[in-house]
Amino acid sequence: MRKSFLAIAILYGVIFVSLTYWQAFADLKTHPANPRYYQMFEEDRGVIYDRKGLPLATSHSEGETYARSYAEANLSHVVGYFHPRYGMIGLERLYHEDLSRGRSLITTLDLALQSAATEALGNRVGAVVAMKPDTGEILALVSSPAVNGNLLDANWSDYLGDERSPFLNRVTHGLYPPGSTIKSVVYGAALAQGITEPSALWEDQGSLLLQNRIIHNSGSKAHGRITTDRAFALSSNVVFAQLAISLGDRLLEEYKSFGLGEIVPFELHNQGGHCPLKIASDYDAAQLGIGQGELLVTPLQMALLVATIANDGVMMKPYVVQEVRGGLRMRQITRPQSIARVWEALLAQDIQAAMVLAAQEGTARSNLDISLDYGGKTGTAQITQGQDHAWFIGFAPIARPEVIVTVLVEHGGTGSQVAVPIGIQVLRAALTLDE
Amino acid sequence: MIRTPYRTWLEFTGWLSFLILWLFLLQGKIWWWQPLVLWVMFMVLFFLTKILSFDPGAIPFVAILVLLGWVFLTRLNPTWATAQTVGALVGGLGYLLGIWLGTRKPRYPLFWAGAALALLAVTAFLGTSVGGARAWLTILGFRFQPVELARIFLILYLAQYFNEGRPVWELGFVLGASFLLLAWQRDLGPALLVFFVFCWMSLYARFRWQKLLGYGVVTLLAFGGSYLWFPHLRSRVLAWLAPWDYLDSKGYQVLQGLFALQSGGLVGQGLGGGYVQVIPNVHTDYLFAVMGEELGLFGTFSLLLLYLSLAFWAFRQLRFVTDSTKQMAGLGLTLLLHGQVFLVVGGILRLVPFTGMTLPFVSYGSTSLVAQMTMLGILVGLGGKRGAQDDA
Repeated sequence: MRKSFLAIAILYGVIFVSLTYWQAFADLKTHPANPRYYQMFEEDRGVIYDRKGLPLATSHSEGETYARSYAEANLSHVVGYFHPRYGMIGLERLYHEDLSRGRSLITTLDLALQSAATEALGNRVGAVVAMKPDTGEILALVSSPAVNGNLLDANWSDYLGDERSPFLNRVTHGLYPPGSTIKSVVYGAALAQGITEPSALWEDQGSLLLQNRIIHNSGSKAHGRITTDRAFALSSNVVFAQLAISLGDRLLEEYKSFGLGEIVPFELHNQGGHCPLKIASDYDAAQLGIGQGELLVTPLQMALLVATIANDGVMMKPYVVQEVRGGLRMRQITRPQSIARVWEALLAQDIQAAMVLAAQEGTARSNLDISLDYGGKTGTAQITQGQDHAWFIGFAPIARPEVIVTVLVEHGGTGSQVAVPIGIQVLRAALTLDE
Repeated sequence: MIRTPYRTWLEFTGWLSFLILWLFLLQGKIWWWQPLVLWVMFMVLFFLTKILSFDPGAIPFVAILVLLGWVFLTRLNPTWATAQTVGALVGGLGYLLGIWLGTRKPRYPLFWAGAALALLAVTAFLGTSVGGARAWLTILGFRFQPVELARIFLILYLAQYFNEGRPVWELGFVLGASFLLLAWQRDLGPALLVFFVFCWMSLYARFRWQKLLGYGVVTLLAFGGSYLWFPHLRSRVLAWLAPWDYLDSKGYQVLQGLFALQSGGLVGQGLGGGYVQVIPNVHTDYLFAVMGEELGLFGTFSLLLLYLSLAFWAFRQLRFVTDSTKQMAGLGLTLLLHGQVFLVVGGILRLVPFTGMTLPFVSYGSTSLVAQMTMLGILVGLGGKRGAQDDA
């Protein structure tokens, strides 16, 4: 009898152990066959705010269930969406655990700036990033086209059929040659290595013969006798090709110290792009020096690059969520965090000055009737098919940069004509909106 | 176990009122008379048992189980709860009948064997088929499952077989015919359960390693044969071994049960908070998963502790039994009850293939409840009359 009871007790013990496993330790919450996973799409959820407390994403009641609605702006690439049929993406996905428990996110985004950037970009396919260089706060992150989180049901098939890929986040996943914007790094490296001086003189004939291949200036324009400073402002390929050849592998190290070719430490998933490991020939070096060839970057990487220059050489970790609050847990606050000192402050300030020159007298000059003191550099990434990609990286104001911008327009044409006006408008909006 | 019955009842009533109030807040409307009638009935059974000098110790546990089942059935569908109430009331009579039966000297083994075989045969040939097994018999509009009673009769026969030195061929015939009839009805869960109880009783009567080995071989052979013969057994086994490969078909029920349990976590989603409408046969086979989701690990632990307490009570009861046939019958009935709990809960937890039986006293199934309460009565009766010393 005693043994029989013991045997029964052991059977119950086995059940106890197994129950404890399934109820307390197993993780089946997000299994695709679990209907509870889909039920969560109908539940109330925390709000996502911009930096001024304006709601970007809210839940509204629809009878017994809740549905998500979004501010009317280009938000799908950063805030994302949350939908019973189409799933979740962006911050909605990254912070799902918190949001589903009713906690709110306060982002670093500025809804008005986000809208201004979207408007400036217009119908063009491209990306805009605005960021505070001294903290790493992302103020605006626009990739166009985007999807509208409020109209997923109505437009889903159009989105799928759209060959401009509205689901592709061009800021984090678009890979482009940086074009002449990369000359800011080449110039800095050359100064740091003592290869050139801002006032050093060059003879620019408009093209440069390397072995049996030729590097041209834009439009093969000959600048004649020219200082390095002006060569930067006018974006002389001839001069920068020679600087890059002199730098050789040191140029690659400089690129790597700016994080090119590597994934940016950022909340949103992003691509590392491509930076070659070795320079095979002078021609390759020249190509790298003018941002063509093998080098591929994301607009996010370029934003981080210009932010580092504008922040006197200190690279700050970019972030988009500054606070998670609500519920029973403590508030979670993101503090600005520096990643590395890439350049000495004086060197960074030299390049800032060169970019200001480019903005006042060079290719980054604005033809808009906007008064703004800014510095910047344009780029025109030549590609084998179709029109070139237009780039602009810039900062404002000159004295103490408060905001940086990166603009990319796919197949937009030249940086000066297409990207600069967009960048100026965004910088201007950022400075006026800030206070 | 030094506690007054009054205190047990007080606590029990408190917990129950709490749950029923919760249920009322949840549903807005419940049939108050049902828990009230059940409560009064268990109260009457308890004091009647006590007045008749039997041990009433198991009644509060069973009352909690039945009323817990009632609460969850009401939460799922009040119609099921009503049927359950009726089952429990008939079960009350079964309980009294069981006490009477338990006090009698065990006799007429062939009567019990014959009755069991007759019930099974009638079901096999005139039964109604529900959900793959032809296990129901409809008489005057009432549908019931004779196998629930038949297996009690089989246990009573087995107890006498082991104590009276009856011929083996007789045992072979009775068991063989029963298993064939159950297989014919495609009701393999009870067959398995009775077979295991038989093995256990046989080993208890006289332990031999050879016997244990023999039973193991027979189990494997029977399992292999059934696996080839019965397609629904095959799909159950596949659902047991690899539910993830059959998400939408064979494995669906098992997985939904596990999802429910997992969702319950430690403290549960609260009564009515579970997402359980997706589980097939939730009121019979899978009520335990609902409890797991809504009451959490604490709830399921408590539920199993109630069963364990019942087992403890039953074995304490059997200590006082001097008649070895009665003792054997009591052991068989206890094993039948707890074996069933193990197969049901273990099936839901994927410890064993799922056999599709009810959770004793809790799941929907009037016949099962009547049979269960009759078994309880028999156990109370077997223990015999005692003085009031146990309740001091």
